[in-house]
Amino acid sequence: MEDRQVTVLLEQAEVQRRLGNLRQATELAQRALTIDPDHAWAHAALAFILLDTRRVRAAAIEVRAALALDGNDPHIHHVAASVMVAERKLEDAWAHCLIALEGPVVEPGAYVLGARIRDLQGDPARARELLNEALALDADYTDALTQLARLELAAGDKDRAAELIERALTSDPADRRAHVIAGYIDLARGDTASAEQHARFVLNQIATDEGGLELWAAIQARRSWLLGAWWRWHMWMSLGDDRRRIALLIGGFVVAQLAIIIADELDLDAASRVVSLAWLGLCAYTWFAPEMFRRMLARSLGTVRLDPDF
Amino acid sequence: MTYQIADEPIETSLRAYVVRPSTPLLAIMLCGAWLAWPWFAFNAIAMGSPTRRKEIALCVAAFAGTALLAALVIALARSGVLPPGAPEKIGLLVVRTFKLTITYYISTVQDRTFHVYEYYGGPVRGAGWVLSAGYWVRGLVIGVSDDPLWIIIVAGGAGGVAGL
Repeated sequence: MEDRQVTVLLEQAEVQRRLGNLRQATELAQRALTIDPDHAWAHAALAFILLDTRRVRAAAIEVRAALALDGNDPHIHHVAASVMVAERKLEDAWAHCLIALEGPVVEPGAYVLGARIRDLQGDPARARELLNEALALDADYTDALTQLARLELAAGDKDRAAELIERALTSDPADRRAHVIAGYIDLARGDTASAEQHARFVLNQIATDEGGLELWAAIQARRSWLLGAWWRWHMWMSLGDDRRRIALLIGGFVVAQLAIIIADELDLDAASRVVSLAWLGLCAYTWFAPEMFRRMLARSLGTVRLDPDF
Repeated sequence: MTYQIADEPIETSLRAYVVRPSTPLLAIMLCGAWLAWPWFAFNAIAMGSPTRRKEIALCVAAFAGTALLAALVIALARSGVLPPGAPEKIGLLVVRTFKLTITYYISTVQDRTFHVYEYYGGPVRGAGWVLSAGYWVRGLVIGVSDDPLWIIIVAGGAGGVAGL
């Protein structure tokens, strides 16, 4: 009875995860684990959901719990590989992925994950092979079609990339990653307006989607390299972890203070004041940059209108 | 009792006093370490942060590390190894850089829990009045002693140190 309850809760959690209701999905997986804290798949499901919410550390703890409970399950190794990709532990991720690929029933997703790892490790040929294996299992598998389109675009074959991405979007018209790649293909073909529609579609779903924002920056860069550089700088400042900002601030602080000490020693009062002001400006800028970026993005997106038949 | 996720904050009776980690970060610049580091520690407890032990240990390390580095710089200055002028200022810069780095690190660690805390709808309080009060009383706190070691530890940087 308990096992049935847990299975139903995990199925519901997966549905909510796919719908993007991550908080609800988390609560359902938590309820499953409250009923049975030793359910390996429930730990793995929770890890997968936490990964979607970028809680990588918590996901790593959950997947370790799942592996401790059942170290032979290929599905759990698949989740472990996904978590380790997020942690940038590519060697370990590949080792887990290989176990997932050796299972009796291999899902296309495992091949796509393997392709992603090999691509990150600088082996696009093997990545392509793995994606073709995924497509041999399911010819309309959106993730595989999207990844393959990305590889073809990177290799310079725009037509093949466009053909693949059209298939991906036919299979799942709302897939964000497919829209991002479609946008890049449009950009490569010089169709900035269409690329903008794809970017807007993605960013209207999730305003912080990293792929969507990168595409948006690339579109702006096409209009003016200065505008592109401005967008990229803001993205660099606003996305990802805080280590960049800390490194920038500490580095800036030390350089500015050393410059002030040297200027004081040389009796260059004006130079000392300029450096102090520049440092204050940088502090203020890093403080307000994320908010400025969000507002700038909202304003820019507001100016783009989707075609009625998009 | 619901299954607890590792990074999930626990319920506390002090949740009404939780502030954004950027507030104590601002406090170190406007008021000084005397307010910022204890505030970070309090915020960790109020939030029920799963990493509160680490955060409190970092706050203690911030005070201890600053005291140790400052004592070293003062000793070097008084023994003539760091003569007045640029060498002494660079010595103080090392202490200020340490203070700034550890403060940002504490803020980053607390930020991770804060995002999860906010995600679960935890209440967040504005604390402008604490910052204002801290700004006005900082002179009193720093003025408790004219020992440069005290001033270096409690001030925002090493500001106010006339000589070592």
